[in-house]
Amino acid sequence: MINKDLGIDFLGVHFENPFCLSSSPVDNCYEMCAKAFDEGWGGVVFKTIGPAHFKIDEVSPRFDELTKEGTPFVGFKNMEQIAEHPLQENLDDLTKLKKNYPNKIVIASIMGTNEDDWVELARLVTEAGADMIEMNLSCPQMTSHAMGSDVGTNPKLVKKYCEAVKRGSDLPMMAKMTPNITDMVPAAKAAMDGGADGIATINTVKSVANLDLDKKVALPIVNGKSSISGFSGKAVKPIALRFIQQLRVAAGMEQLPISGIGGIETWEDAVEFILLGSTTLQVTTAVMQYGYRIVEDMKNGLMHYMEEQGVDHLSDLVGIANKNILPAEDLDRDYKVYPKIDWDKCIGCGRCFISCFDGAHQAITWDEKTRRPSVDYSKCVGCQLCNLVCPVGAISTGKIEMKPGRQGNVEDIDIESVRLTH
Amino acid sequence: MSNNYTKEDSGYTMTTVAEEAARCLLCHDAPCTKACPAGTDPARFIRSVRFRNIKGAAETIRENNALGAICARVCPTEKYCELACSRSGIDVPIDIGGIQRYVTDFEQQAGMKILEKGKANGLKIAIVGSGPAGLQSATTLLEKGYAVDIYEKNTKPGGYLTYGIPEYRLPQNIVDYEIKRITDLGATLHLNTAIGNDITMDQLKADYDAVILAVGASEAKMLPMFDNQANVETAVDFLARVKDAQGEVSEPDNVVVVGGGDVAMDVSTTLKRLGVKHVTDMVYEEFAEFRASKKELAGTQKAGVTIVDGYVPESMTGNEVTFKHRKIDAEMKIKADKVILAIGQQVNTDGLGITTKRGEVPFIGYQTQDPKVYVTGDIAHGDKTVVWAVRKGKEVAEEIDKTLMGGRQND
Repeated sequence: MINKDLGIDFLGVHFENPFCLSSSPVDNCYEMCAKAFDEGWGGVVFKTIGPAHFKIDEVSPRFDELTKEGTPFVGFKNMEQIAEHPLQENLDDLTKLKKNYPNKIVIASIMGTNEDDWVELARLVTEAGADMIEMNLSCPQMTSHAMGSDVGTNPKLVKKYCEAVKRGSDLPMMAKMTPNITDMVPAAKAAMDGGADGIATINTVKSVANLDLDKKVALPIVNGKSSISGFSGKAVKPIALRFIQQLRVAAGMEQLPISGIGGIETWEDAVEFILLGSTTLQVTTAVMQYGYRIVEDMKNGLMHYMEEQGVDHLSDLVGIANKNILPAEDLDRDYKVYPKIDWDKCIGCGRCFISCFDGAHQAITWDEKTRRPSVDYSKCVGCQLCNLVCPVGAISTGKIEMKPGRQGNVEDIDIESVRLTH
Repeated sequence: MSNNYTKEDSGYTMTTVAEEAARCLLCHDAPCTKACPAGTDPARFIRSVRFRNIKGAAETIRENNALGAICARVCPTEKYCELACSRSGIDVPIDIGGIQRYVTDFEQQAGMKILEKGKANGLKIAIVGSGPAGLQSATTLLEKGYAVDIYEKNTKPGGYLTYGIPEYRLPQNIVDYEIKRITDLGATLHLNTAIGNDITMDQLKADYDAVILAVGASEAKMLPMFDNQANVETAVDFLARVKDAQGEVSEPDNVVVVGGGDVAMDVSTTLKRLGVKHVTDMVYEEFAEFRASKKELAGTQKAGVTIVDGYVPESMTGNEVTFKHRKIDAEMKIKADKVILAIGQQVNTDGLGITTKRGEVPFIGYQTQDPKVYVTGDIAHGDKTVVWAVRKGKEVAEEIDKTLMGGRQND
């Protein structure tokens, strides 16, 4: 079995691998974190610890899932808040974890209601032996508006609380950002100005996932009512990657250290977050669905990917795709690429015809007798919708043509992707 | 050369294998994994496929089963992993063999080299027979640092894999590829070398630290009524002849097959694939007590073979065979151009210095009374399937290692 070093340094701390549990129900006590370490996770961001005076009182039930066709957990909605265990118990768990797993990274997630709370929590988790602090400025379902994402969308408060944490601790610290904001850059800048050493993002996206159609109430139904709360899982991955990209290319933040979060469940997801600038990775939803064991295939798959790419240090991959995401106005618009149909693979379902007519440019014609499509090049705009809907991978990118009057060599145009063409 | 006999059914694509893997419930303490005699760990490799780590899936299969690509095609999974599958509580089991075939095909296409030779420990083992048990024991021993010589009486290695299982079910290039992995790992094959004729057991025992007999049941059984009859062929001879010719043979229009195991199914289906018009399979057992796997039976029925259950051959006169029903008063006479006997196989122990009873050595375990000599494969106690041969191949290697190295790591 392949064995490559997945070690990486983040904020001056060495992780044996980049895979961490994010602060959530999956790392709520010592036993959970210990099992996760035993199964191969590199670190945990222990479920957010709040001040002793703030009492957590949870609803029941508290989760919902978005499905599509037969696929469960396309997205996951969650109403749970921060750790409900007593403060001292949480601190003791941090100490015990570090004592029994000295080579694993224990990150304390904290959340205060005011400056004093933040200072005190930072001091307590540092004393308890945590390796790093993550400030939870982003939970979207707190019962207090002085906590969570309402704070994270306010750059002034973000900066103030970051400064408070830095007064309470000299540990490396990352501020966890909310995606429930148009532009994350000001909040992230405020955090860095306040002394944060890096950014963790994204937290969950505010959501209503489903409604009960008879009762006319959103799910989950909490004694007849429901609330907006955080959405996570595969469905939010594109949103997370978008925010991470924007942070990494913002002026003055090009080398911003990021712990990437949002829908990671396979090694491919992990690589995407790394290529866009994440140094460590955090996972919850896939663990809630499948268990800690998913880390085995993420680690092994990542090792194989590094081997294929000829990369010995994971850090060599961090952020190397940022430069390939440009503003829309900077993309090459001088050519189009037609679809190519592999007749050995085509099974005559006609899905390409339907999608092209109803969703694109009526460029595929359909022979009713032979049940085969053909491309009308005079109408085709090269959008490749047909390529995406084909269920058997019979359609791929084919002939490239310069638009009338445009200059360029079609040989040099780069549009191939193994992922686009199945 | 491509004909109906050589054409294997197409396997999964990345899209369809992902769909099949998505049906897997990813059970806790997975029953499929517990049910695999060879310890191939289906739950682990299906999970890897589910999470798009095909290379990792290939590692799991290959490290646990030196014949992973072969088992994927020929294992009667309905009796093992798929019988245990929790998905049956919803609809039908996961197609574990099909997923395993996708992964091992990927492994081959990607040119992955997963098996690693252990650090040499200076000990040498001779293996007699290059069938599945011999090949797996060779692999496990090589991984542990032993030098391995395999002696094979035939011109080609692989035993029943090469000479018995039809091409459409197990392409020879798959067998050759699996064997090449093992010779690449360091096993030396001595072909056309029969024990007793070309080299003696005493010589082997003198030259090696241990000898493994993995000779299998390679000879066809015969019934006296068919002895010396014209137009009678054994299944062993027929399957070997057709495979060697890759289906380029000419068979008459009306063939009767006698037997109801997987071999009889292979013979009957092969005949249909060769274009034989009338294939009648006469089976001793009634359908309720059938020995052939459901998958093989279904394939045979689909191929258009007439299967008559419950009949025993009584006599053969000229080209007419008379069958009688075992339980009811019924008789059938069939005139056939040819009769193929698939009524079982037997062991030939000449020159090996061991005795077998009903095809097995009369003890449980692998070490014989001669402490230097071990048995494995079909002649050892246990099921007679490829997957069991893999299990017995691993176990005999472990036992030898325990005896010779005392279980010590060689590093």
